[in-house]
Amino acid sequence: MDPLTLGALLAVITVLVLFSGVSVAVGLIIVSAGFLMVFDGLRSLQLLPEILFGKLDNFALLSIPMFIIMGASIASTRAGADLYEALDRWLTRVPGGLVISNLGACALFAAMSGSSPATCAAIGKMGIPEMRKRGYPDTVATGSIAAGGTLGILIPPSVTMIVYGIATETSIGRLFLAGVVPGLLLVTLFMAWSLYDTWRKGSADAIAGRSYSWRERFEIMPRVLPFLLIIMGVLYAMYGGLATPSETAAVGALLCMVIAIIIYKLWSPKLLWNVLRDSTRESVMILFIIGAAGVFSYMLSSLFITQSIAAWIGTLDVNPWVLMFFINIFLLVAGFFLPPVAVILMAAPILLPIVISAGFDPYWFAVILTINMEIGLITPPVGLNLYVINGIAPEISLRTILVGSMPFVGCMVVAILLLCFFPGLATWLPDLIMGQAV
Amino acid sequence: MAAGIPSTTSGIRPGWPGQVDRLSTLFGWISAGMIVVSVLITCQMIFVRAVLGQSTVWQTELVTYLMVAATLLGLPYVQKLRGHVNVDLIPLMLRRGPRKALAIVTLSASMLIIAVMLFYGFEFWHKAWARNWKSETIWAVRLWIPYAAVPAGLGMLLLQLAADLWATINGTDKPFNIAEEKD
Repeated sequence: MDPLTLGALLAVITVLVLFSGVSVAVGLIIVSAGFLMVFDGLRSLQLLPEILFGKLDNFALLSIPMFIIMGASIASTRAGADLYEALDRWLTRVPGGLVISNLGACALFAAMSGSSPATCAAIGKMGIPEMRKRGYPDTVATGSIAAGGTLGILIPPSVTMIVYGIATETSIGRLFLAGVVPGLLLVTLFMAWSLYDTWRKGSADAIAGRSYSWRERFEIMPRVLPFLLIIMGVLYAMYGGLATPSETAAVGALLCMVIAIIIYKLWSPKLLWNVLRDSTRESVMILFIIGAAGVFSYMLSSLFITQSIAAWIGTLDVNPWVLMFFINIFLLVAGFFLPPVAVILMAAPILLPIVISAGFDPYWFAVILTINMEIGLITPPVGLNLYVINGIAPEISLRTILVGSMPFVGCMVVAILLLCFFPGLATWLPDLIMGQAV
Repeated sequence: MAAGIPSTTSGIRPGWPGQVDRLSTLFGWISAGMIVVSVLITCQMIFVRAVLGQSTVWQTELVTYLMVAATLLGLPYVQKLRGHVNVDLIPLMLRRGPRKALAIVTLSASMLIIAVMLFYGFEFWHKAWARNWKSETIWAVRLWIPYAAVPAGLGMLLLQLAADLWATINGTDKPFNIAEEKD
């Protein structure tokens, strides 16, 4: 069988296996082992444990559990609520201050936790009831948080970006920087839509907001500053060249746990274990998918599928932007069904050579890919954030949450288009701070 | 939906699956402990290098092996918590009977592949042990020690999958952990 037909057969079988409900990691190993056994003989299976081990034997992977611990310890405290309250107190004079504070809090919390569902839950628990109380439409209250939560995987530090960096051997520091301006662009678009929608539905009271004294504004600051300082410290250490992402993340994880214990009094062993258990569960789940995806990409290249697809696309002689359009559609569809980490690990090693040979920047592409994954987080059938919001605001129907989220999908599509027209939005900051990519 | 938010089954099941759950939880503690130790060692490494100005020999390698071991030994515990993400679109569309049948098929297929990986994983470890392989670093770790996580983690995962299969067959577990009222 020629490698291209084999590739098509593989795509169909992978989809079938993953949709059967088997876990993503084990599913990838099943497909890889099946194809290797049929087309390369039983002996090829012998190497699988070694490949699994080899893929995990990488110091850079340490940054994943470390950033997850940072996020989980922050998420286990009242930090989200405090952050939200602080922004609300400071932004009351801004029209529509509450929804702006919510989205700002989402962006900041995303920067602290690196996780989309954690951001949704942390800000939404306070933000949604408060917005509804002050007369914001349900669609705006839930949609803004669902969309704001997706920023977790774009704004640094982002676990998804780390996984992309590891899968494609690109610089994690540069990837983080590439996400900053597009992240701010998305927040701005989200805010603009929320304000317009609130105004359109005539919720004038909501836009007026309430006022706080300066005393009230300053007294909340000590509770939010420590975490913000840690994040700034971690990013400074990384870009100042003091330590690698893994090392700074470890220091960040330790400091966040210490602060959670001291300031937020998280000293009961049970609560601490909950943080540790959730971090272990999430880390092991992601690392196992990374190992399994390593086995999968070994199978792809030993059956010459990766190379043949890249060569085939090279012969098609299509306009690079047409190619990018189809890649976006593919990513969007994959993101509807699969978690971002799985899509990145399976698709990035195949797509990146194609994308680079078509003349696109790998860091710019990482941002495009991530925004596609963000869309998958607020669209059915998997739409993780929709279910998180449904969990914290059960009185609002899933349909309303979905309707509220759809315009934000539009904002993300606009952001992708803007990035296509102005790639500098993603590449300017990394080039400025780290110099041109080699 | 499955992708991302796993529902936690913290209760211990009756019979031998319960014993397996307890053992998997122990593996989970070990895995979590290894992650915490990695945090501390990495911080110590930065201190030694940046503050004391000394070079570090063993830290990076040890932390890397600890992460591999934490992942492999954590597998059964995460399986017990139903924390390995899956796409449960088809199981959600099925009625109770076919859903249970599909759960039995996917668990059996998972067991089969993990058993194959365990077999070769044991061979992988045994070779390193019998030939006394060492890592090509100054620290020169005897490789059978880190490699032992492969058979240990996969072996325990196989046991956990067997317990889950048994509990699915006799009705203790809901297939794919999907609540029955959705039928």
